[in-house]
Amino acid sequence: MTVKVSFYSYFKELAGVAAAAESLPAGATLGELHDRLMERFPKLAPMRKSTLLAVGVDYQPRSCVLKEGDEVSLFPPVQGG
Amino acid sequence: MKCRCSRRCKGADGIGDCMKRELTITTAAIDEAALVSKRVMSHGMGAAVYFAGVVRDSEDGVAIRAIEYEAFEKMARHQFELILQEIEKRWPVESVRLVHRIGVVRVNEASLWVEIIAPHRGEALAACEFLIDEMKRTVPIWKKPVA
Repeated sequence: MTVKVSFYSYFKELAGVAAAAESLPAGATLGELHDRLMERFPKLAPMRKSTLLAVGVDYQPRSCVLKEGDEVSLFPPVQGG
Repeated sequence: MKCRCSRRCKGADGIGDCMKRELTITTAAIDEAALVSKRVMSHGMGAAVYFAGVVRDSEDGVAIRAIEYEAFEKMARHQFELILQEIEKRWPVESVRLVHRIGVVRVNEASLWVEIIAPHRGEALAACEFLIDEMKRTVPIWKKPVA
């Protein structure tokens, strides 16, 4: 399956792109996708623990099972206000 | 769809005693006077609490001219709505209006404006603090200092 990945804030600069597609085996979890993205975009790896992960418009745990076409977002801690 | 508010609201589809909300995410300057002039309070309400977050002239001890705000807007709106739903469950708030700027906001300009209307100051102040604390924890908006 393929999922769309978007990066926000300075994660865009670190990844070098604002969005990317990633192919995963069926049943893959958000955590597995995150691990794969840390290899593909190694400049994001130091922020691994503080990275926030969302599927669609909701935060999800690493155990979240992804499905075809999911829109996943990775970003640093938020700073509104 | 039945109303989800916890105030024994008789209405459906969000009509009835439900908390009113108005959320604006905009690149335009926040006109606080114009916003306050549009305040609507029913006769049972006794507290209108306002908060403005204003850009300071330094960030981590370094002088800046502005802050550039970026939002993942679709998710930001959803996360704000989750916070508003929680406020509706916790306090008898009549209305919440919130404006958050994105783009470049210069020093001394407001980046955030909030109005909470409730029967008493305690619940209005508590709801306002909760809203801002939760926003800073969950709403995907980021800032970048502009030197």
